[in-house]
Amino acid sequence: MTDIMPPGLALKKVDERIMTLNVGPQHPGSGHMRIVVQIDGDYIVACDPDPGYVHRGEEKMAEYRNYITNVPHLERPVIHDSCNVLYPYVLGAEEILGIEVPERAKYVRVICSELNRCIYTMYWLAIYGIFLGHSTMFMWPAGDRELLIDLMEKVSGARVTHAHFIPGGVRNDLPANFEDVCLRQVNYFEKRIKEYAAVFYDNPILISRTRDTGVLTRENAIRYGTTGSVLRASGVDYDLRVKAPYDVYEELDVHTNVLKEGDSYARSKVPWLDMMESCNIIRQALQKMPKSGSVRTKLKPNPKTKGPATVYKRVESGRGSLGCYIVSDGKTEPYRVKMSVPSFRNLLAMPNLLIGEKLGNMPSVYWSLNYWPVEADR
Amino acid sequence: MGTATGIIRALNSGIKHLAIKRFTLRYPEEKLKFVGDGYQFDPSTGVGIAGLKGRHMLFHDHCTGCQLCSIACEGVAEAIAMVKVPEEQKQNKKSIMPQIDYGKCVFCGLCVDACPFYALYMTNDYELSSFTKEGLIYTPAQLAVKPYLSQDSEIQITDRGATHG
Repeated sequence: MTDIMPPGLALKKVDERIMTLNVGPQHPGSGHMRIVVQIDGDYIVACDPDPGYVHRGEEKMAEYRNYITNVPHLERPVIHDSCNVLYPYVLGAEEILGIEVPERAKYVRVICSELNRCIYTMYWLAIYGIFLGHSTMFMWPAGDRELLIDLMEKVSGARVTHAHFIPGGVRNDLPANFEDVCLRQVNYFEKRIKEYAAVFYDNPILISRTRDTGVLTRENAIRYGTTGSVLRASGVDYDLRVKAPYDVYEELDVHTNVLKEGDSYARSKVPWLDMMESCNIIRQALQKMPKSGSVRTKLKPNPKTKGPATVYKRVESGRGSLGCYIVSDGKTEPYRVKMSVPSFRNLLAMPNLLIGEKLGNMPSVYWSLNYWPVEADR
Repeated sequence: MGTATGIIRALNSGIKHLAIKRFTLRYPEEKLKFVGDGYQFDPSTGVGIAGLKGRHMLFHDHCTGCQLCSIACEGVAEAIAMVKVPEEQKQNKKSIMPQIDYGKCVFCGLCVDACPFYALYMTNDYELSSFTKEGLIYTPAQLAVKPYLSQDSEIQITDRGATHG
């Protein structure tokens, strides 16, 4: 494996031993993307990821819509993680518009955010299972995900694209008796994901396929700017919920899961451990949440900002640190919305990881990077 | 742990599921029950009421034809068009009411948030498929009809696993 590899490297002239292989543009469960690999026999010698097939112009669209109507479309990049994708935008818009958020709304947001993180991770895990030909690991997470989708449906009224967070709080209060239902289903969910250890994580077939493949060292993980579970799997203790808490994460006890190996196995295990931590956070938030009170500050349908301002907010999403930079020129629409997405940052590590690997290990390395093509292209 | 033990443990944890009830929801026969009668909004407090964001319900005796729902939809889906209605309501001088194209609607519910007259709510009806594109365009008269629903299945958690009972 070469030590330093510039991301998105240009294809070299092909000699007789080397074959260029187009993997894609295909839809590996999340959006189209292509990887151009050069192989020598069974070994990858060069790799050029080619994102951009699902570019939707979300950032440009945000310049023509006001701070409220931006909500339903800015969550589209990752519909399974829609609350977390919207979170930094909502935090930024609140600061620009100068709105205070009620205390109960902050707790509702934390609960929705953690539920969404689990929903996303379960979907990711299902695809990881089927990538490795493990169809039980496709069926189980896809089914158990339903427990949490049902909860989000009760809260927000939609299964995936919730449009629930809004500048000023959340759209609606929790339904009656939600705490009991949530606690029951989250506890059962946690019991279920612990069963995955025997069938998947302790399974020797998985271990032999993922152990020591695509090793990302601690130094390289920091150098390439990876984030989230990829960074934590390489031994860096970095979680924005702990390092730069937003909303009410300061008052909650969040534990960061760090593994040292930096291989595909560690990268696939950290999100699973994070899900258990999410269950803990949901239980804490349900306990500490004020039992009554407003959840939304009243706002005009077309709110005006006070004047030119810039703001950068970031949150820990299902894939890592997700930032949103908003520039306002005092009008009702933002002047510029720029998202710094974890998927693209994790993708930058891919050429380095794949070189020297066998072609058959590509799926296990590719999907363990927690890369979501639609989010990277926006 | 050896390779053989690991594989046996993995198989064993799967075999245990033969004795567990199925979790699958058999959709056309069973339908999920939702909280409330659909997403609603209270303009006096500015907070919504939890419920499913399904097809809309238009109350003709409240709608004033102010077009706020249509304006709210402009930046989202442009699904709402204001059309002439034959009936005459005293609060609706222009006799215009929203017509919703469900081929475009994203079910975000911002139109419900925009309505200050308690005229537009959402219902639990989500089965809106049609063979033609015109069939997805709901006129104000169609939107006034309360949907007939039979949704009674809920997630039950027992010692033998979760089911849709």
